Amino acid sequence: MKHVLATASAIMLGAVTCLIPAAGAQPPAAIEKAVIDAEAERVAVVAKLSPAVVAVCIYGGQAIGSGVVIDPEGYALTNHHVTQPAGAIMQCGLADGNLYDAVIVGQDKIGDVALVKLIPKEPGKPFPFVKLGDSDTVKIGDWSLAMGNPFSIALDFTPTVTYGLVSGTNRYEPMGSRPGISEYTDCIQVDTSINPGNSGGPLFNMKGELIGINGRINFEKRVRINSGVGYAISINQIKNFLGHFYAGIDTDHASLGAVVGTADETSDLQKMVIKQLLDESDAARRGLAEGDQVMKFAGRKMTSANMYKNILGTLPKEWRVPMTVRVGAKSRELLVRVQNITPGEKPTREDPMAPMPTPRPGPMPVPKGPNTTASPAAKLLKVKPGYVNYHFNEVQRDKLLAAAKKLGDFTTVAGAWTAEGGYDLGERKGAIKLEVNEKTADPFVKLGMNIEFSLHPFESGLTPRAAAEPVGSGGLMMALYHWHRYLTVGAKGFEGDFSHGGTEPLYPFPADGSVPTSLASLRVDADVIRTKHGSVTCKWYHSKADAKLLGFETYLSKDTDPCEVYFHDYKDAGGGLLLPHRLEVRFGDKRYGYINIAKYNLK
Amino acid sequence: MRIASLLILALIPNLSLGADPFDKVCDDVNTKMVKLFGAGGFSRLNNFGTGVLISKEGHVLTVASQLLDTSDLVVHLYDGRRLRAEVMVIEQELDAAILRIRVEGKKPEEPTGLDLPYFDFAEAAKRPSAAPGDWIIGFSNMYEIALRDEPLSAMRGVIAARTKLSGRVGVFDFPYNGDVYVVDQITNNPGASGGALTTRDGKLLGLIGREIKNNQTETNLNYAIPVNAAVSVTVKVKEKDMDVEKTLNISFPDFVARGMKGDYKPAPRDKNATKGDGGYSGLVFVPNILSRTPAYVEAVIPDSPAAKAGFRPDDLISFVDGEPIASIAAWLEYLRAHTRPGTTVRVDVRRGESLTTLTLPLGNHPPRTVVAPPPPPKK
Repeated sequence: MKHVLATASAIMLGAVTCLIPAAGAQPPAAIEKAVIDAEAERVAVVAKLSPAVVAVCIYGGQAIGSGVVIDPEGYALTNHHVTQPAGAIMQCGLADGNLYDAVIVGQDKIGDVALVKLIPKEPGKPFPFVKLGDSDTVKIGDWSLAMGNPFSIALDFTPTVTYGLVSGTNRYEPMGSRPGISEYTDCIQVDTSINPGNSGGPLFNMKGELIGINGRINFEKRVRINSGVGYAISINQIKNFLGHFYAGIDTDHASLGAVVGTADETSDLQKMVIKQLLDESDAARRGLAEGDQVMKFAGRKMTSANMYKNILGTLPKEWRVPMTVRVGAKSRELLVRVQNITPGEKPTREDPMAPMPTPRPGPMPVPKGPNTTASPAAKLLKVKPGYVNYHFNEVQRDKLLAAAKKLGDFTTVAGAWTAEGGYDLGERKGAIKLEVNEKTADPFVKLGMNIEFSLHPFESGLTPRAAAEPVGSGGLMMALYHWHRYLTVGAKGFEGDFSHGGTEPLYPFPADGSVPTSLASLRVDADVIRTKHGSVTCKWYHSKADAKLLGFETYLSKDTDPCEVYFHDYKDAGGGLLLPHRLEVRFGDKRYGYINIAKYNLK
Repeated sequence: MRIASLLILALIPNLSLGADPFDKVCDDVNTKMVKLFGAGGFSRLNNFGTGVLISKEGHVLTVASQLLDTSDLVVHLYDGRRLRAEVMVIEQELDAAILRIRVEGKKPEEPTGLDLPYFDFAEAAKRPSAAPGDWIIGFSNMYEIALRDEPLSAMRGVIAARTKLSGRVGVFDFPYNGDVYVVDQITNNPGASGGALTTRDGKLLGLIGREIKNNQTETNLNYAIPVNAAVSVTVKVKEKDMDVEKTLNISFPDFVARGMKGDYKPAPRDKNATKGDGGYSGLVFVPNILSRTPAYVEAVIPDSPAAKAGFRPDDLISFVDGEPIASIAAWLEYLRAHTRPGTTVRVDVRRGESLTTLTLPLGNHPPRTVVAPPPPPKK
């Protein structure tokens, strides 16, 4: 510290001696107005952002990294490699000089992101926070501001600001180029100084919007400080995972179940093709084959292997994304579900000749073992496998279900449901009559569409084929049974799982049956509830706007396509209870049919 | 929500000129540059670098590094095209080389038929030099971040000086002794050599140089060779069986103009330029910031004499052949004055709390290249 101070005063002396003659020769008025204005803007932006910048500390107050508050309740983003050494309970310093107790909420180990929650000093007191930007609009040559607590230098937590250019966008920084398991995909490269302790801190555009979370630097043989190459995880990638974070999930990345690579490494221009395909993958079920050329994936053009890895790295597992492939002269668009990374596919450090890993910019080394039991944050921690903090899953789940309940409380009509109307299976049309009855010793579903189908979900010896009736629907009766149970019984009806599943995109087709311009254009982001009853799992998609149930998927088993039901035309079904009156049922890549309900009878 | 509206209010609608983003300039310059792949990839020598397009036909200007010691040179264009290239001419005195992109099915003397965006070097050389304080942008493929159609890295900095270079590559003094632009940004990273230093509006100012250290401070130096550089060198030539010393004036624009046409003759060079550097150890020291920085080993180059002798990072060299060594400078001076390749020296190093004696047979200097020491050990 002494040394740094001495240097600083020497520089100041130098500056003073230079400035005096210069000031005489050239009065400040000669400085271009544009320069003065730009400086004033910068100063104003920094002043507005500073209060929301976090110094992440281990419990007890030693700063080890940075972060940024993103909502008034005190949720803050940082790096996983910062929270990992800090533990589940930590403290966060803000520019107001206070240390706030904080608890881990959610994380993405591979993407190196974590969400924590600061506990306000007075209950309900809002925190200063920043606005999330759109990192897809960031261009090489844009200015950027990095803020944080490099070298843990600010004892009063006033953030340090550095200013520089965006050097690169959509950068791919592989796993194995650094220790640990993290992989930086689609990230932003800056010449803005990023140093140890900046990890987890915000990268802003000059409008003061959060465009990334700083987390890595390149330095190779230089010492472990800025060498002009810093990397930030793009905020758009983080947005994909944010719903999972808020729900306390230990998120994971995904694989396509296929190897996508360059057709010919030595060719002039790159062509990306499917090279290997797992039989049980969704990609295989969608009819993709080795040799198919991948033109677009999740809305982005496929120009290189790095671009493919970039896009894949931005997706949480189980997301469904549009993809365009070309076979011969024909191209087609399809929706594909990305799946769990199977152990064999997890990238490893394969190349023993690869450069030795070099450390990250942070966190600063920390001593171990603070006692956090007295912290109010400890009350907000609930450990459960698969979750970083299940407490927040319960909070988000109950919040979502409470909002959904405003559209109707179906617990009062938990008996038999019957409905009448028409069905439209394309070739065949006719009258439909359906009944779901759970109030008997032997619950059943009846579906009359000329032929009478029936299902007893818990009949012993129920074959997979019978469970998937009617043929081609993927299990519509089972789906209807679970829908009834979800609405009328709720949590108590799902002994296997009843949790918040974060955010996922849903692709409801137009209600009128018209052909959409593209599958990508159908995307709606929804909050998901996951349920399991017996061996059947469901995913329930609630609108982010009003928690309305937009549709759901019913999986009779793992590695099969679900029965998808999309809800349209919500109307009063009696007693003020809103229910959909047009249901689209899909299975695989096909529409099974529509069910148009004229009248419900809920008991 | 109140806080959100406050933040939004704070946003200033129009960014003024003083904060112009450089996105268009970056896009434009990127199209005039190539990623270069060649020899290396072992012993921490980079097999990647950068080049500047100087004709629509596909002439590429880059630094005369070890990268070019191969017949298998490959360039990646901004649009992702991958093409072969070959060296046309190298001028060591400018530390520069001109390459030519090869197009499949065309003979070397035939036009390539390419129509690429490029920098007009002659025009660039006519523009006034940049002055200290001027903003610059550096473009390069440092750290091999970009492949194929991925854009090069852009960095902003300021010209610190236009001056003569006092640098070294490894333990060698630097071959180029003309003017350089010294910049305050860390432009000279691995793979950056051959990159473009431009004005803030994307006009070519110079060619980003190698990774070198200042030979007075042992700190990394970031520089570029100006487009209007000129050097005078004294060379020995045979005239009527007599060695005669002659002064050659070499200018960068002349090298580029004639080099592209294929009628440039490089200056003859003394083959024994490394004489007098002493023996080679393979030790890399901590940055020599103070005049008497102790000789702490930062890294040991794999397979080097020092590595075989058992040197380790964090060793402090205390004595060589019984002479006390107080600084990095003293160590280098001892090697220069008392050793040459083949000499064996006895070195006492302080390792932790104890003094260890190591026997170090000094070796031959590796080829005149950018020698990158290994990264610091894993903690």
